[in-house]
Amino acid sequence: MIYSYIRPRKKSAVTPEVKLLFTFFGITLLMLFITYAFLLYKDYNFVNDLNLIAQKNAVVNQNLSEMKSQIEFIEKENVLAQKIQTKNSVLKDSITNLFDLVPQSITLSQAQLQQNALILHGLTPNKDVYSFMLQAPLRSIFHKTYSSFYPAGDGWLRFVSTNYTDEEATIKEEVIENEN
Amino acid sequence: MKFLEAFYSKVFVNIVANKEGLDVSVEVYAKKVQVSGYEKSFSEIDESMLDFIESYTSESPYYYISVLDSSSTQGAIPTCLKNRLSYYQDVSDCEYKCHDSKWTYYTSKTNLYDMEKKYKRVGIDFIFSPFSVLAHFFKDKLEGQTSLYLLIEDYYISVGVFADMQLLYAEHLNISDYRENEELYIVNDEQDDGLELELDDSIDLEGINAIDDMDSLDSLDDFGDIEDLDSLEDIDEFSDTQDIEEEFNQEQEEELVMNAHSSSSDDYKRFFLIQNSINAFYKDDKYESEFIDNVYVADAVGVSLDMKRYFEEEMFMNVYIRRIVLGDALLELAKEELSV
Repeated sequence: MIYSYIRPRKKSAVTPEVKLLFTFFGITLLMLFITYAFLLYKDYNFVNDLNLIAQKNAVVNQNLSEMKSQIEFIEKENVLAQKIQTKNSVLKDSITNLFDLVPQSITLSQAQLQQNALILHGLTPNKDVYSFMLQAPLRSIFHKTYSSFYPAGDGWLRFVSTNYTDEEATIKEEVIENEN
Repeated sequence: MKFLEAFYSKVFVNIVANKEGLDVSVEVYAKKVQVSGYEKSFSEIDESMLDFIESYTSESPYYYISVLDSSSTQGAIPTCLKNRLSYYQDVSDCEYKCHDSKWTYYTSKTNLYDMEKKYKRVGIDFIFSPFSVLAHFFKDKLEGQTSLYLLIEDYYISVGVFADMQLLYAEHLNISDYRENEELYIVNDEQDDGLELELDDSIDLEGINAIDDMDSLDSLDDFGDIEDLDSLEDIDEFSDTQDIEEEFNQEQEEELVMNAHSSSSDDYKRFFLIQNSINAFYKDDKYESEFIDNVYVADAVGVSLDMKRYFEEEMFMNVYIRRIVLGDALLELAKEELSV
């Protein structure tokens, strides 16, 4: 019930001291909130970056393993290539040596190089030329040499020379050479 | 910010002006429970009073300063109808409030401005009418038969006649208005009236053969019954209008009345002014005059027993005096306003 002629003055709990206190706490809380929000953002960003980096890392690792396998394959290819190159150079030397073995009077029509064999087809004026000029060096190289002749029609003889190397004997020879 | 109010205590400062100066009482309430109370008197509104009040009001932003309207131009009107107010009093320059939709109390706007100016340094939140104080103080007695209610302060008397919670008549009296000449004039006036009555009612001796008329002697015997009026039973009949409960309370209040601070002459002045006011109530056609049996006095100054005697002997009224501490009465009103 209203008794008074006048209304009471407006009362407020917010005195200047309390206002100052609230302002101070408000600014502090605001700063804390902003800092917290900033840290949250940075944390979120960091986690995102971390995930991206992890994904990239996984991709890189995968690429690395692929590259490693590729390197291994290339290395193997390289070794193989070197082996082939070596073999080829050996073969080239062998062929060169082979052709150096063939005298002027004998004509080769076909030469077949196999793993442990060399088969030569050609024309020789006679058996003696063949035996002295070609068969003799072949025998020094191969362990087994077989020759067959048949006439060519103009007095010359066609020959087929089949030469084999014995692998076991070759290995033994290499061992002996190494021991020496 | 309303919720913050619950965390603070409420400080009620009550300022009552009296002839010594100003009585300031401070009550501190926390959650509707009184925590502490302090009182101090000051001769004027000075630095010491401001310091005293500020030492408590600084404890809480929720402090309320109440003062009692001590202006001369105030009163109460027995209606709340705005179109009827002017019938009793010109309230165009007054601030007025309706009490419980039954009656209106008012005070001059100029006085309110003066009070606000006077207490500008202190600052005031409530200005209460003495009629509000009176009605609140005697709220348990306002119901029932027509009675006179008085709030007696050092310089002022608030007179209210209530019947069944309804105000019939009110007047705010200033003791300084009392003039001895006026008293003599009125007393003489009354004496003149008495003389006139005696003359008017004088017995026409010419028409009576007193000694010879035996019938008249017989009839005189009947006057013997008058003695019976003095018997206790008859006195009880006269006391039908007495307030038994208040009588009981009066025995406890008796000691307070004995320690009266007010002088007998002041009390006579007060009685005289009140008597005039009651006469005005009886005579003025504007008011519904009803016979008053009981007088309830809210005594803020410590009236002497003479006051009671004046009423009982000269106006044949039952007088019940209650001591009132105006600071506490203001506190109660302020609490009720704020629903504390």
